[in-house]
Amino acid sequence: MSLTAYLIIFVTVFIVSIILKLSFTIQKRAFKCKWDGAIEADVKYGGGNKFDLYLPADKSRESYGLVVYLHSGSFNTGDKKDDAEILKWLSAKGYVAAGVNYTLGNNRKPVSVYDQSLDIKDAVPKVVKQAEKLGCKINGMAIAGGSAGGTLALLYALRDAKNTPVPVKMVFEMVAPAGFVREDWTNYGLDKDAKAAAGMFSPMAGKLITPEDIESSAYLTAVKNISAEAWVTEKSVPVLMAYGKLDKICPCATGRRLAEKLEKCGVPHDYIEFPHSGHGLQNDDRIYKQFVKKISEYLETYLPVK
Amino acid sequence: MTTGEIIALVIIVIVAFLGGRLGVRYYLNRLLGGSLFGGNIL
Repeated sequence: MSLTAYLIIFVTVFIVSIILKLSFTIQKRAFKCKWDGAIEADVKYGGGNKFDLYLPADKSRESYGLVVYLHSGSFNTGDKKDDAEILKWLSAKGYVAAGVNYTLGNNRKPVSVYDQSLDIKDAVPKVVKQAEKLGCKINGMAIAGGSAGGTLALLYALRDAKNTPVPVKMVFEMVAPAGFVREDWTNYGLDKDAKAAAGMFSPMAGKLITPEDIESSAYLTAVKNISAEAWVTEKSVPVLMAYGKLDKICPCATGRRLAEKLEKCGVPHDYIEFPHSGHGLQNDDRIYKQFVKKISEYLETYLPVK
Repeated sequence: MTTGEIIALVIIVIVAFLGGRLGVRYYLNRLLGGSLFGGNIL
């Protein structure tokens, strides 16, 4: 065989290997399911935002659990359609599943995490109302999300749960910034650089935070409204969390801090750390499968399908 | 094909396949964080 032939074979196999690796990720495989429900798509709820409802095939039950899943995207990108697989998976289990969009920030028009959390607070009653209009009376809910969506889910469950139209029973999230304590944000150098910390936390909180506020710890009051861990009490709902130990984007220290708080308050929770993975939980497939099994266990325990 | 060519072909396919997977893992780790080895077998 000629050298050219070997080279062509090498390059072809190399490219096929890349395509296979990117196409058959655990995240896609883990939520694969047979689903024959219905979608009510793009229901407007305010501020130009919309949600999708994934309705279970069985419409004969008296009432249903609702699971709201919030998309990732660094608070600036993403869409509910990115989560179609997990939403179908949840609906196939017998829940009404809702993917909810929220106002995204950009350089020209920044939006604070606090404002985004108010979008979710605004959306949930409308999601419940729409589900009921479609024949699915809601008896309780769980809220969940990945990364930025996880932060918003935690805020809804831990900060806003007392004002919800239906009881929040649990929350699960993946790689979400669970708090904004500068000592946890070492990967961005915020533990040492007060100016950088102020620069990052200010727009997220939607409040002016100065380097002096950072140095004096006065900033903790300003970021409280976006720090889920600051809202943990003995009455908080159960929390299931997954974090990558080597995450460059959202330090797992924020999840550990939340887990410590939950432990201290006696709140049921599970903190699952992926030892070889980063923000994509991409290198620990065995643990990912265990995490997905744990989501099912939490749902069966705290929001059982009746 | 000779035996040597077959062996060479097998080695090339294995190296190319593993190289592709390792390359993706390396690239994703650069973006998201993660270790090159451990956890998944590539």
